Amino acid sequence: MATTVLAPGATRIYQRSALYEWLTTTDHKKIGILYLTNSFLFFLLAGLLALVIRSELAVPGLQFVNSSTYNQLFTMHGTTMIFLVLMPFLAGLGNYAVPLQIGAADMAFPRINALSFWMLPLGGILMFSGFFFGGAAAEGWTSYSPLAQAKYSGSGTDLWIVALLLIGTSSILGSINFLATIFKLRAPGMTLLRMPIFVWTVMVTSLLILLATPVFTSGVFMLYIDRNFGGAFFDPASGGNPILWQNLFWFFGHPEVYILILPAMGVISEVVPVFSRKPIFGYKAFIFATLLIGGLGFSVWAHHMFTTGAVYLPFFSLMTSLIGVPTGIKFFNWIATMWRGKITFATPMLFALGFLTTFLVGGLDGAILASPPVDYALHDTYWIVAHIHFVFFGGTMFGVFAAAYYWFPKMFGARLDEGLGKVHFVLMLIGTWLTFFPMHLLGLEGMPRRIADYSPAAGWTDLNTIATIGSFVIAISVLPFMWNVFVTLRGPRDAGDDPWDAYTLEWATTSPPPPYNFDHLPPIRSERPLFDLKYGHGARRALPAASLATADEGAH
Amino acid sequence: MQWPPRVRSVASIAGLVVLAPLLGGCSALYPPNAATDQGADIRNLYTVFLVPMVAIFLLVEGLILWSVIRYRRRKGDEELPVQTHGNNLLEVTWTVLPTLLVLALFFVSWQTLNKVDAESKPELTVDVTGFQWQWTFAYPQYGLSYTGIGDQGPVLVLPVDEVVHVRLHSHDVIHSFYVPDFLFKRDVIPGQVNNFDLTLKDAGVTYSGQCAQLCGMDHYQMRFTVRTMTPADFQAWVQAEQTKTRATPTPPPGGSVAGPTLQLSASNTTNFDQSSLTASAGQPFTVVLTNKTAGAPHNFAIRDSSGKVRFTGLPLAQPGQTVSYAVPALPAGTYTFFCSVHPNMQGTLTVK
Repeated sequence: MATTVLAPGATRIYQRSALYEWLTTTDHKKIGILYLTNSFLFFLLAGLLALVIRSELAVPGLQFVNSSTYNQLFTMHGTTMIFLVLMPFLAGLGNYAVPLQIGAADMAFPRINALSFWMLPLGGILMFSGFFFGGAAAEGWTSYSPLAQAKYSGSGTDLWIVALLLIGTSSILGSINFLATIFKLRAPGMTLLRMPIFVWTVMVTSLLILLATPVFTSGVFMLYIDRNFGGAFFDPASGGNPILWQNLFWFFGHPEVYILILPAMGVISEVVPVFSRKPIFGYKAFIFATLLIGGLGFSVWAHHMFTTGAVYLPFFSLMTSLIGVPTGIKFFNWIATMWRGKITFATPMLFALGFLTTFLVGGLDGAILASPPVDYALHDTYWIVAHIHFVFFGGTMFGVFAAAYYWFPKMFGARLDEGLGKVHFVLMLIGTWLTFFPMHLLGLEGMPRRIADYSPAAGWTDLNTIATIGSFVIAISVLPFMWNVFVTLRGPRDAGDDPWDAYTLEWATTSPPPPYNFDHLPPIRSERPLFDLKYGHGARRALPAASLATADEGAH
Repeated sequence: MQWPPRVRSVASIAGLVVLAPLLGGCSALYPPNAATDQGADIRNLYTVFLVPMVAIFLLVEGLILWSVIRYRRRKGDEELPVQTHGNNLLEVTWTVLPTLLVLALFFVSWQTLNKVDAESKPELTVDVTGFQWQWTFAYPQYGLSYTGIGDQGPVLVLPVDEVVHVRLHSHDVIHSFYVPDFLFKRDVIPGQVNNFDLTLKDAGVTYSGQCAQLCGMDHYQMRFTVRTMTPADFQAWVQAEQTKTRATPTPPPGGSVAGPTLQLSASNTTNFDQSSLTASAGQPFTVVLTNKTAGAPHNFAIRDSSGKVRFTGLPLAQPGQTVSYAVPALPAGTYTFFCSVHPNMQGTLTVK
């Protein structure tokens, strides 16, 4: 298909210095790229913390850090990965793709959008400054009271709280912005049931954020009052209740898990159909499953508290068992989408397949934990560490990289190198399994999580050494990606509008799109307007492809 | 259909890569054999969950692998595949079947839960107290109590074949009582007493346990040991311990005072309120330790510059207590004083 030609004068914009432009921009695409860049920097930082953690655990004995530093390392690793890497990665993808995919010119509130972003680096710097002021927070990302009370922890925890207040506010504002954009700015013809699945997942995620995050920000605010003004919310020594904190935290914390996985599932639902050359199988079922996950997500939080003796176990066990079903539906939908397709293996598709094969384990090892008695055995062991990393790393991070390779040509007008991309994928897949699969076995053998050291007599050494080797493989896998981005940005910007022969509206404009996104929109009659344009609406059989396929189609 | 040899070899290698670790890992995919009746129930339940999960894993990974190999796009094939949008029968099937499966699993799990959490009339009650970063195991009906020192946790001696009722207490932060061989843990929460019953199976065995809930700096060192005995041996052990305790009556807190008195206090578990003390060489002295920490006991101990422990003050000063320790004369030099329960609490003792 020919490259879109913009209307004369469309590219004439008010000229400013690049730095000033990036610092003050309210363009959703630039803010999206800012989000992604910022998340990637914090991803490198959190990854370094993880490497120190894994190095310390490689063999018994304290070799590199003492136990107090160790506690700071995993606390900051977890908090950073969740609040400054995964959440903003997905917010960044949403920022970039949602307005384009629904045919809008920008987000509904561009300036609030910029505000939401700039709170993140500020919060991140505040949180990390704890390392220079007597130690960062060290109570785990869950920050359980009374350990998080002032008498048991230092000022790093106050910085942690303030940072999370900022980040929490940022995501609440962001979610309102997404909802307003999706409900008010859809192009004519873009009904709710014609929206790309990715937009649906961002919408449900935004609802979850809007309902869950205020509870969390209230909770950390109460913790701040406890620590600094003698509040008595969560400290039993002054009449508070430590279980109340756990309820507030997990009322947010569990929907948060879905906040972090739904948009990644959305990405996979964009990539798998395009590279299978079929529509998503069961579009409505997929949306139904997404809504179901969102709804059930609010009724399972106490499965993180099965061992507290303060939970009505059968209810939360039942709801947790049920929430596996919609995720199962999605898996079958993805497989049925590939079934009888014509699959090509460009890097975005490889990462999508990595997501499917790896995230599956995170679903199944989590379903086992829905049983309270089994959870008595496995809770707070390395099984949990394995589970969360199969979900967030094997799931969300693979989704993020699939999206990065998929939308990079749209963002910068150039495709990332396929060879380097494949090296990145293979190393990351091997590293992920090598690092996180042995952790299941460590958990079964009884290794508790969050311990700085273990006895040589415990018999956990070999598996820990394997996990450490794996973590370095993951670290090395990021290098070809960074080199790839660097080289590609220096090369020619010749990707064209629609390098993947894709289906959705963002591929109907130039790469990169102009500030206002679209000169003109194709008619929207299904969830695949661009496919309809290229192959005809309601195409069930192939049209003579040669006349319509893009010029570089044979290349992959 | 006949596949080209290249595809077959790729498929068989892929199959090996997936299957080999699975077969080799089958026994590794299990928790240890349970030491308690309750743990045995949990282990059986684990199998009930593991088998369908492994089956689903193989099914789904197999379907993915099959789709990827079978439906890859051949070179030069420009034709669109059939644009299937869905299939109601299929979709209802893969919604209903998993729902039935998880409901069945939930009901089995509920049965086991009721068994594991059941409490009957106990023959022995044990009070477990967790504090930063040690444990106290007490037998209220026998007047016995044991607190761990340093990184040496206390030993919990228990009879087999009897219902043991465990009560969990904390006065500082949340801990978790976890013995991997029991396949069981329960959180130790301040302001809330948690209970559970256990019945041990084999006598003469030692199990290691440790805190499973992050509780601060030395969380990783909060270990303990469980030792099992036949009921007869247990009764004999109780009597021997009671005799030993009566033979060495604990000196009353604030008792024996000799020589000059040094005041020492502790308000937390990371350091003493005083970082240095000074004493005279060749003269006994008394250290009066006031424990102002809410949740944890402390004591006063001395080691010399070579690391040899020269004095360990007992009994421990419980929260709120003041205890005097009579220290024998020391030659001049610089020593380190510390708390045996929290070896990280240290200060300098100058003897001149």
